[in-house]
Order: sequence, then C-alpha cells, then structure tokens
Amino acid sequence: MMSAFAKRRLTDWFHQWRLPLRRFLLSRAGVPAADVDDLAQEVFLRLMRYEKAELVDHPQAYLYKVATNVATEWSIRARNRYVHDEKWLGQLIDLELPESELERTESAEEIERALNTLTPYQRQVLKLFFEKDKSYAEIAAELNESVRSVTRQFRKSYDKLRQELSPKG
Amino acid sequence: MDANDRRRRAGSEAADWFSRLQAGTMERAEREQFVEWLRESHIHVAEMLRIAQINGALAHFAGWARIATGPKTDADDVIQLPPLGNSTSPSPESPLQGPPPRASRVGHGLRLFAFAATVALIVATALVLPQLRGQLIQTERGERRDVVLADGSQLQVDPETLLRVKYTDSARRVLLERGRALFHVAKSPDRPFTVQVGDTEVRAIGTVFGVEQRGHGVVITVAEGKVAVRPPESSSPESPPNASTRGQAESRSSQLLLTANQQVTVASTVGRESIREVDSQRALAWAQGRLIFQNDDVQQALEEFNRYNRVKLSVVDSELAAKPVSGVFNAADPEAFIAFLQSVTPLIVERDGDRSITISTRRSPDGDRY
Repeated sequence: MMSAFAKRRLTDWFHQWRLPLRRFLLSRAGVPAADVDDLAQEVFLRLMRYEKAELVDHPQAYLYKVATNVATEWSIRARNRYVHDEKWLGQLIDLELPESELERTESAEEIERALNTLTPYQRQVLKLFFEKDKSYAEIAAELNESVRSVTRQFRKSYDKLRQELSPKG
Repeated sequence: MDANDRRRRAGSEAADWFSRLQAGTMERAEREQFVEWLRESHIHVAEMLRIAQINGALAHFAGWARIATGPKTDADDVIQLPPLGNSTSPSPESPLQGPPPRASRVGHGLRLFAFAATVALIVATALVLPQLRGQLIQTERGERRDVVLADGSQLQVDPETLLRVKYTDSARRVLLERGRALFHVAKSPDRPFTVQVGDTEVRAIGTVFGVEQRGHGVVITVAEGKVAVRPPESSSPESPPNASTRGQAESRSSQLLLTANQQVTVASTVGRESIREVDSQRALAWAQGRLIFQNDDVQQALEEFNRYNRVKLSVVDSELAAKPVSGVFNAADPEAFIAFLQSVTPLIVERDGDRSITISTRRSPDGDRY
C-alpha cells in the first residue's frame, strides 16, 4: 500500500512537472500531437542516457523531472531564439500567468464531459480517490473488492479518459 | 497495425502502468519492466505523460460533487483487452468512427453512439464467446502485448502469436495456435491451468513458464514452480540418460515434470523429448523484448529482428548471412544490431526510408574484403 507520504511525494512531482507542461499538453488551442511527440522523443532520448538501475527506484520521478527539464529548456529557447516561431512555443512563455476564468470553466466542462463517458462505478472509484483522497487499498476495503480489481477500474478509466481528453494530431 | 492502433495500444499500456504505479504495489521487477517499456519507444513516453497530465487535471477538478456514481455492473467486470491490431471492433480513435470529438457535434454524437455500440459488442463478446471459442488474443509482426486474464494470470505475448483463452468454473485453458507467450499463472488449485499446443498439453502448478511453437516443435521453458508436459500420445518421450540423476527432472508414464530452469522440446516429427538444464532468464529473454544470440548466423538474427519490427532487415551476400554472431540485443532496436555488425565487420548499409535495411559485405576495389 502506498503511504500518505509516498502519495504526497508523487503529487509534488506532478505539480513540479505540471506547470511547464500544462498548456503544452492540454491547450485548447490544440497543440498538435506531433509536437507532444517531439517533446516525448527528447525525453525518451534523455532517459536512454541513464543507467537502468538508476531509473528503477523512482521511474515516475525521473520521467517527470526529465520532461520538466525539456519543457523548461524549450520555453527558454523559444523566448531567446524563436520569438516568432509556432504558436504553442509562445504559450510556453506565459507560464506564470494564471489561467483565465474562461479557460478554467472550459477545461472543467471538458473533464466533466469525459468523466460522464465512464461507467457509474468507475466514477465512484475515481471519486473516492480524487475527492475523498482515499488510497487504492482503502477504496478496495470500502467497496469490498481486491486492490487488483480497483487497479483495473483505474486502468480502464484512464484509458477511456485518455481517448476523450487528449489533443489530437 | 497502423500508427493509430499503435498509439491506442501504447495509451492503454500507459494507463495500466500508471494505475499500477499509483496503487503502490509494484515490486522492483515490475518497475524494471516499466523502465524497459518506457525506454522501448518515445510513444510510450508521450502516452505516459498524457495519462499523468489527465491525472493532474482530475486532481484539480472542482466539480466532483456533481459527478454521479453507481454500483458495479457486469460491464465493469469485463476484462478489457488491449486493442487487437486487426480488430474490426472500432476504438474511439479509429478512423472508422469519423472525426475526433471537437471536429463537430455530429461527429461527437456518432462517436458516442459508436462507443456505446462497441461497449455492447465487447460485453456480448465477453459473455458469450468464451463459451464458444474462447477469448482471442492475437499479435502481429512487431507487436508485443501484456494481457491480464480474469483470474489474475498474466500473459506476455510475443509478436505473431495467436491464443485462445477458455475459462470455466473448473478449468483454465489456453490454446496456443501459433507463436509464443510467457505465462505467469495465478495460483488456483481448484482450476488447473493448461496450455495446449497441437497435441501437446502443458499443465502449470502456480508458476512462470514460456511456451513457444517453433518449426521443429514446441519448446517449454520453466522459470518458476513446476510444469507437467504431456506430449502427443504417438510420441514416446525419453529423458536423457542423466536426467533422473539430476533429482529434479522426472519422467512418469507419458508425462514429463519440469522444474525451474529446465526446458524441453517436444518435436513435431521425431518422438523424442529430452529435458535440458537452462538459464531460464536467458532462455526466456524474448519475453522481455531481448534477443540473445549465441553463434547464430546473421541471417537467423535478422529474421528474429524482423519478427519484432516493421522495418525489414535483409542480407545480400551468403558470406555475411552465414557469419556467426553472439550478443544480447534489444528486439525493438534493429539499428543497434546493425551498428554492432558494422563495428565487427565492414558493411554497406542501404536504407529504403524506414521500410527496409539491406546489408552486404563491403569489399575493397580489388574484390577482397577490407
């Protein structure tokens, strides 16, 4: 079972990683999937430079850290060298700006729409995790399920939401 | 399998890894597998980032109170297999289903309808088909897949493999029609797990083992636990003279009992099987996406790479084709293998886009090899 500390640490990594990449990945302006792939390609190449043993302890942390580094470097490069370059590069520069009310509403609506494509039970499982802040094991106990079964509901939910929410190429 | 299918499958795999990471139950060996998966392709990296991003969006979503929930239904119990490469049931990103969601309202409605239809089809298939023909698991050239079955058993399915899974209350049966797979069998003493390849039957007793259908017969390799192999009735199994002295290998009537680090080949023509001691990690390296060559010739090595990749490798001259090669390689990285060959022998490498790579011996102007 994941400790509260481990969970918080995971969330912290995510926060560090999220800001530089937020607009990049979910921009309403529609970042072409090809550009996301360019970023992933660079992250992929950098991951190859690490020894495997080094990555195994905290693979997710490494992934996010490398992705953050790449996104940050690209935003600086965009500011310095490609001022007139593609629109999405420009968006990376505005990291410090809070998202607008409109943007927030739109993205919440989009998430709600996607959530409603899940089964009621999958929504129940996600709600316990994200709203009630329960661990997989706690959710399993509450629903009288195995952790494996709860994990499967998350897998199916993420898979479906990925299809519903991500920008297309 | 086209780029959409590949992307779709990578997305499903990323969702699987992310859920398992988040569950916090992954052992070191699983994390190693995750790192290997991540380093297999930049598409895996991209899909992992996307799932993480979605997770972040959900964590910051303020409208959870409005989200309706409900109890578990049969549909929630359906084991969702990753998409089949040649599946006719459309995935929501499939071109069969029209434009992506934001393209138009009409497209969106159609897509929802198509999705509902797909769910209905999957439910019907999951409920009815296993009783008739079994769940079908099929991979194409260049496609590897991890599948979790209803009982928690896991299958690592190699490229160009066709399996049928038939589960009943009293038995778990898998028919391997072609190719190879590694089976991590969940313990369930009341429901024996058997893999059938032609007339050969392999029975597991809570274990990890690989079954390969090859030209010369069926190769069974055990990594953990015990496995009983029943060769076809017509063949008369024989253990090597020293097998009984090893203490672990037994041959009883028509059944061979294999334990960890043992391998047997049930030949398709000659009725003779012998249990060999092997390093199962090496013998089953294919399940981890690694290819291990030990004095195999270049031609054989290229054919192995071709099973795992879309780019087709070929060798022009017989001298190079027959050259022995040894080493451990990533099955998804034929370029690394070509680079390795170049480092040991002078080569001419010709590429046709990303479709094919042809290699031949580089010769000096007077006809001799450099």
